[in-house]
Amino acid sequence: MTMPVTIIMIEDDEGHARLIERNIRRSGVNNEIVPFTNGTDAVRYLFGDDSSGVVQKGRALLILLDLNLPDMTGIEILRMVKENKFLKSAPVVILTTTDDSQEIKRCYELGCNVYITKPVNYESFANAIRQLGLFFSVIQVPPTL
Amino acid sequence: MAPEVRHRRALGQILLLSAGFLVLVAISTASVLLVNKAREDSAWVVHTIEVENQVNTLLLDVRRAESNARGYLLTRDDQFLTAHDEAVAAIRPDLDKLASLVTDNPMQKGHLAKLRAEIETRLSQFEREKALAAGGDDAAATALVRSAASGNTNANIGAVADLMRAEEAQLFAQRSANADHSQSLATLVTITGSGLVVLLACLSVVLVRRSTRARDEAEARLRENYLNLEATVDERTADLREANDEIQRFAYIVSHDLRSPLVNIMGFTSELEELRNDIFRRIAMLARTASASPPPAEGTDPELEGADQQLSEDFSEALGFIKSSIAKMDRLITAILNLTREGRREFVPTRMDTRELIEAVVTTLAHQAAEANATIRIEPLPTIVSDRLALEQIFSNLIDNAIKYLKPGVPGDIAIRARTKLGFAIFEIADNGRGIDPKDHQRIFDLFRRAGAQDRPGQGIGLAHVRALVRRLGGTMSVASELGQGSTFTITLPINWNASNRNSDR
Repeated sequence: MTMPVTIIMIEDDEGHARLIERNIRRSGVNNEIVPFTNGTDAVRYLFGDDSSGVVQKGRALLILLDLNLPDMTGIEILRMVKENKFLKSAPVVILTTTDDSQEIKRCYELGCNVYITKPVNYESFANAIRQLGLFFSVIQVPPTL
Repeated sequence: MAPEVRHRRALGQILLLSAGFLVLVAISTASVLLVNKAREDSAWVVHTIEVENQVNTLLLDVRRAESNARGYLLTRDDQFLTAHDEAVAAIRPDLDKLASLVTDNPMQKGHLAKLRAEIETRLSQFEREKALAAGGDDAAATALVRSAASGNTNANIGAVADLMRAEEAQLFAQRSANADHSQSLATLVTITGSGLVVLLACLSVVLVRRSTRARDEAEARLRENYLNLEATVDERTADLREANDEIQRFAYIVSHDLRSPLVNIMGFTSELEELRNDIFRRIAMLARTASASPPPAEGTDPELEGADQQLSEDFSEALGFIKSSIAKMDRLITAILNLTREGRREFVPTRMDTRELIEAVVTTLAHQAAEANATIRIEPLPTIVSDRLALEQIFSNLIDNAIKYLKPGVPGDIAIRARTKLGFAIFEIADNGRGIDPKDHQRIFDLFRRAGAQDRPGQGIGLAHVRALVRRLGGTMSVASELGQGSTFTITLPINWNASNRNSDR
């Protein structure tokens, strides 16, 4: 029996968050989604008050991350997650408007698992999220150590 | 130095030189005149001495005749007679010579007339003495000599001659003074003139040295200005580069951040569309229930009627406009993003055969060319050093345009040729297409601007992009075209583009 996976959604644009959530639900994924609209709150949740990440021990997490956040860059959060011994095994999906090849390369180098550019065309957008949902429904996520 | 001062100085030099020249001419003239005058004066002095001499000679001859006559009377020696005759014979020519010498002086002429009369008297006395002596009448001859000696004749001759000599002595003194005066004047003029010339020369030298110094100063200032100018240019270039970078960043951030809300607008518009379907389905159901019509079969949407139908269509139309506008905005933002990204890309100079490169580009466009019934001719092209990707984009855009805007119904003929000139390769992409109105020649290079019939898809980005690339490669581009006459795009690129002259700018 696998642990129920919690989806952490870090997305500053509430409209985007709403659209993403809707489309994930439409693809039949019913896992808990914890939304954050800024980096500080998300980091506090992920790493706990002591910043060690020990609070997440034993949980299965999947992180949906936007790169453009009001208080810090998503890349910073990605780096912190991948450097943390409790969190580094959690899959990170970058979902952002940036399609700059340099940025994409950097994210993969830092250990992001999937990089998706948000299409403006809503059909493509919805399609991408639904497929991501399908991906979520089959992906095996290890519990954090 | 103010220009009028410089002008005045130059004028002063010219005036000085002219003055010097005039002084020289004046001195020369004066010297010549004065030397002539001095020579004339000397001639007059000599003349005076000659006259005096002649008077003395005459007197001497008269005395010689006198004394010889006396000697003969005393001794009867024929030698005295011969000497007497010689002296008498010399007297008249002496007189004539004196007369010719004193023609210039009326006073001396008067004296001479008197002298001549006295001498004639004495000469006739000599004749008579001779005749008496020859006749043996010695006593009568001696008496005649005595009477001449005691009478006035000899004394008169002496007196007149003295007068003449005095006159000449006076003239001599006067003329000597004149000659001295002329000579000292000539000396004075020469010395003064020379002094003046030396002074002017000194002044000239001073002026020339001063203007040389001024010129040196101006040169130094010019050099300094030049250096300053270079520094200023560098500074401005740096400013411009910074401004350009800022614009690039600005464009990137703006276009990037504009995307985010656009995703929402698009997303929720689509959600609205979904909702619209739900709402109108329910309206139709309600309308049907109200009019007690039978419910439609399972799985099919109930039909809307009348005003409801109209409402639904208006709703759809509004949503359609919103969506097409968003799509357009998205395309524009994408274009700006791509352009700014292109502007940030580092160019790498590579040596390449442009013919090979363009052949590759043409191969990728072969399908479109075949569809448009166009032939593409590639003439021999040079090998240049430039950025490969940039050149590919430039030629692909231009050839694509040429294929895209052909004249309907006319087989396309696109020629790509090049020539080299002064370190630049000049490429020409010529077509026989629909052409571009000259008034649009500038406009077509602007971002998002297009010209002519808008019957082909496009954003108005290609040429703006091409021109930006060409400029970054240190080149220029232009177009020559008339409506309906085809177009020729000319691109001038440096044959040996060096990354340092542009990339180091960034």
